[in-house]
Amino acid sequence: MNAVLVLIIGFIIFIIGYRVYAKYVDTRIVKADPKKATPAKLYMDGVEFMPTSKNILFGYQFKSIAGAGPVLGPIIALQWGWLPALIWILLGTLFIGWVQDYSSAMAAMRHEGASMGGLSHKLISPRARIILLAFLYFYLLLIAGAFGAVVVNTAIGLKGSPMAWLFMTGSGILAGQMIYRWKKDIILTTVVTVVITLFGIWVGTVAPSNVIIGDTLANSRVLWGILTFVFCYFAAVLPIWRFALPINYVASYVVLLGLFFGIIGVFVLHPNLTLPAYTSFTIKIGPIWPIMFVTIACGAISGWHSLVSSAGTARQLEYETDARPVGGGVMFVEMMLALFALITAGAVFSSSSEYAAALVKGPAGVFAAGVGKFLNAIGLPLKIGTTYGSVMMIFLAVTILQLVIRFMKIATSELLGDVSPVFKNAHVGTFIASLLGILLVFTGWWQYLWVLFGGANQLMASLALMLITAWLMSEGKNSLWALLPMIFMLVTTIAALLYTSYGLLVKVFTGAVKGEALIGNTIMGFVGFFLVIAALVLAVEGVKAFKRYQAIRVQPATVKA
Amino acid sequence: MAGEKKKKGGFLQGVKEFVYGVAAHDSARFALKTRASMEHLFILITMGDMLGVPILPPYYSLRLLPYVVPQISTWKRRMLREKDLTDALA
Repeated sequence: MNAVLVLIIGFIIFIIGYRVYAKYVDTRIVKADPKKATPAKLYMDGVEFMPTSKNILFGYQFKSIAGAGPVLGPIIALQWGWLPALIWILLGTLFIGWVQDYSSAMAAMRHEGASMGGLSHKLISPRARIILLAFLYFYLLLIAGAFGAVVVNTAIGLKGSPMAWLFMTGSGILAGQMIYRWKKDIILTTVVTVVITLFGIWVGTVAPSNVIIGDTLANSRVLWGILTFVFCYFAAVLPIWRFALPINYVASYVVLLGLFFGIIGVFVLHPNLTLPAYTSFTIKIGPIWPIMFVTIACGAISGWHSLVSSAGTARQLEYETDARPVGGGVMFVEMMLALFALITAGAVFSSSSEYAAALVKGPAGVFAAGVGKFLNAIGLPLKIGTTYGSVMMIFLAVTILQLVIRFMKIATSELLGDVSPVFKNAHVGTFIASLLGILLVFTGWWQYLWVLFGGANQLMASLALMLITAWLMSEGKNSLWALLPMIFMLVTTIAALLYTSYGLLVKVFTGAVKGEALIGNTIMGFVGFFLVIAALVLAVEGVKAFKRYQAIRVQPATVKA
Repeated sequence: MAGEKKKKGGFLQGVKEFVYGVAAHDSARFALKTRASMEHLFILITMGDMLGVPILPPYYSLRLLPYVVPQISTWKRRMLREKDLTDALA
């Protein structure tokens, strides 16, 4: 199949999903009302609650949800063939993905801008909130491990990327200094720092890490693992304007430029997908069901989006009718990003064995090779294009990684602060989060880490869909369009987590793994089981809430009769 | 023709806002959050007696009151709103 055709099919699904299905739900079921006061207007405080243009929120939502997930998931899932991956990305987004993103924003808007914790307290039970918070901590830990592994694999697999990453960090810090301390013009700051970053990408190609620090250090997982979490440590403890935000600011231009010219490159080159459409039902990491459905997480549906939609976007939507373009529309755009990733990997290798050999080093290298090829089609030298792709990958991973470590720091303080005051110290919380993340990176196999991260992420999505169903039931609305995806996701993700965790712990207890892998397998196995137990308890709480809402609905009818 | 021009301007404005949303909206929100936290702390110290926490003698509070008045409704809204750990994610 031709790559352009994949994009066209994606675009058709986009139109059908957004213009027909989402519009029907928005106008007929949820009945979004542009005249209704949103929390942004009702509780306007000029900070968190503030009416904001839907175009700005479209960009904000896209930036917040488009991490490494939609890019790497499809690349890994190509091991089953491109057809199952393509079908899941399209149908997952059409029937589940946008439903969750849009409805999380709507549910939060209709509950005074409450975030997922607050919603679970109000709609399900106080116990559900506590379990959700504990669930979230371990879910975020898996994100830290999986995304940390992405950065480490990229730094080792593509030797030009560390130098470019260093330049990106430096120019980010410079951007913070120029904007907040020297009060320089924003356009001047942007031009200077983006040019320095682009220069860094070129420097990376002429001065790769193995030339500068030698082969041993350049291939050391320990070195890049420590540097990754030192980077996140600074992002968590320094003032946010000094480090995390300006780096994200500069890097977002690099990613936008890369995506824009990469897609142009796809149209110029219009290659055919060279990998097989279907390989087999079971591969090394597991069977197509349930494992592929969690391997491709963010490109089809992701629990992370519900956290952003409720705590961030819902508090800024000016009109209820903006939730469809911002919540739903952005999910369809992310679907296109996942298709782009599928194409970069599916069309860049001449054979399955070549793809498999590249994948062993990590999916980021596969993505970088694809980006390099498409940027080469519009005139950029292949080597620079590949380094460019690797920097995009590092940025997509570290943006979320920084946020996750920051949140884990706060969560440690909130959850354990009463046990001992030492946990309230920002450095202690950050250190614990970084240490746990680094332990997973060093000791876990990245493919299992990815599957567990995907499983936890999708499980979060099914919990969000449970909250949405409870909300719809509480208002007496048709809830089948959220309930059915919830059941599918809950069953699939629990099956995936049990399958993977069981496999990991069997290896531990039979003595099949030793040394570092023993630690990684044990942690990952137990975290997986814990997430399943937490999800089951939440599901029981959810079913109780559903019954409660059904009883309330039945009651007036009985009285009338 | 005028309509076309207006449409073009609208599209460019939309692109501009999208880029701002991707690149800088987060920074602006965090800057506002930081400023708001500082202001709220200041109001708590100076006008704490409004919440039953008298820290500064009322004389100084009264002298500062005119400067604080525009912030009071926002301050109360933020201080009294139910908060959750998951708020920190976005």
